[in-house]
Amino acid sequence: MMNRRELLQGGVATILTAGVVGGAAKEVPQFDITDTNLSLFQWPFRRLPLDDTTLLIKKMRTLGITRGWAGSLEAILHRDIVSVNGRLAGMCAKYPELTPIGSVNPTLPDWQGDLFRCLKKHKMPGIRVHPGYHGYTLADQSFTQMLEQATKAGLFVQIAVTMEDPRTQHSRLRAPDVDLAPLPGLMRDHPGARVQLLNLRPRGVQIDSLAKIPGVYLDTARVEGTDGVPTLLGKMPRGRVLFGTHAPVLIPEAALIRTHESNRLDEKPLRSLLAGNAQALLKA
Amino acid sequence: MTPVDLHLGLPTSRELKSYRVWDSYFTPSHSHPGPNGGDRLIAEIERSLPAIGKGHFEKLCYFPHVGIGTTSDPAFEKAARDNPELILRPLKRWPQMLLGMIQLNANDVRASLDALNRWLRDGPMLGVYFPGGGPGALTCTHQNFELLVKRIGELKGVIMQHTWFKTGGKQGPGESTPAELAKLGARFPEQNFICAHAGGEWQRGIRAVRTSPNILVETSGFDATAGFVEMAVRELGSHRIIFGSHLPSRSLGTELSKITTANISAGDKKLILGKNYRTLLHPILKTKKP
Repeated sequence: MMNRRELLQGGVATILTAGVVGGAAKEVPQFDITDTNLSLFQWPFRRLPLDDTTLLIKKMRTLGITRGWAGSLEAILHRDIVSVNGRLAGMCAKYPELTPIGSVNPTLPDWQGDLFRCLKKHKMPGIRVHPGYHGYTLADQSFTQMLEQATKAGLFVQIAVTMEDPRTQHSRLRAPDVDLAPLPGLMRDHPGARVQLLNLRPRGVQIDSLAKIPGVYLDTARVEGTDGVPTLLGKMPRGRVLFGTHAPVLIPEAALIRTHESNRLDEKPLRSLLAGNAQALLKA
Repeated sequence: MTPVDLHLGLPTSRELKSYRVWDSYFTPSHSHPGPNGGDRLIAEIERSLPAIGKGHFEKLCYFPHVGIGTTSDPAFEKAARDNPELILRPLKRWPQMLLGMIQLNANDVRASLDALNRWLRDGPMLGVYFPGGGPGALTCTHQNFELLVKRIGELKGVIMQHTWFKTGGKQGPGESTPAELAKLGARFPEQNFICAHAGGEWQRGIRAVRTSPNILVETSGFDATAGFVEMAVRELGSHRIIFGSHLPSRSLGTELSKITTANISAGDKKLILGKNYRTLLHPILKTKKP
């Protein structure tokens, strides 16, 4: 198995290869890439080409993605969260580029125990929640308590705003996009909280609103439009947009190409987006 | 500072060029061309140019409104009828890059038949787009389609029908599903139809047209959901799939990666990214040659 140094060297080589245009080597900057929105294991609704972790890791290495924050797709429907997070931590331990992000469902009895294990046993830097599938809102007291405890423990919280376009969801298992209206009040009441919204497709006024809330971060997995990513970066405060792919549900190359297809980002903001902002969030 | 010229996630330029990409679903200013009969349309084409360049697209097909009631703007509709130069503006500016298919209004058969003669028979357009929303939308099983499809066939035009299978049902009365397009297709077995977006929920969409050999699916308009193209190739064959970019409202990343990263052969990718579309266009392109 590769160690981190070997892995990073492999990533650099990949990036140089990516710069080969029309057969002639072309100098391009080398980038470190952190995917903040990965998941492991099987999507409940169909098999995915990269739902085998070995294949997912192989793809990451091909693309030069050197670090990945990985949640578990099992967490969407499973209620034995202890075993879900245990399998996730075990699999991530096999690959130096993976950081496990455990799941917590605050509607389950003793969710506090799951949070404690994420922190103490698995040494996770953050947790991931799925309000749409677990049946609560951000205004519910259980979520408020969970955010409070996670913040006190120094964990960031990833909220999966959606996992799938509501228009294509299974008719018997529909999960609407998470209502973000309570977020400004929550963040005001919990200074120091760090919340990343995953899979949000932000629109004009919503971006303006989110930009005003300290501690709220976004990912790029479902940001659409040929210049959607640079436009979002231009509207959000510096450091608050993190690269994410939502692989293996979505094709990881899609998010990568979107960072540069409009040729609007200079090297510095691109570096921040692809890795720097994620590292800063970990240290915040 | 110069923006970084990267190719992260893309095949090499050589590979992309080898695919000879023809985009069947280019949607600049799709619902209205903007002030002065087209300023926003031109701006959105310009906005797409970096991605078009990165993807090494050879040609893109867009869908102009031609003044037959497909927008909700009476002033534009009149201007488009009175001044066809407005409609030709993009084609004249990018004659090597753009193809056009007019948006039809199946709610107004008379005006649509006139537009077919004006723009397909006597003009540069290569086919039609039946919208799924707006004042021109009508479910494709409606009897109004009979005369229109017959005339389009006589003119050798290509038909792009917007389709979606939405969980929870249709969001507008004029929407069409792939299942409804399959019914229309069965009535015109000699006419090919393109099922835009493969129905969005493509697992159902592909199944709905699987036994309709004259229906091809178009690949844009939904998230870069992994496994779509593999299923489409398995169930329909690569000769029944056509690439669309949906630029600029969607992205090169989302739409091109569906095909370039799929676990299919390079030959299949060439068919999907351009060859199938060229084959569909061939009969009407022959009629346009001087």
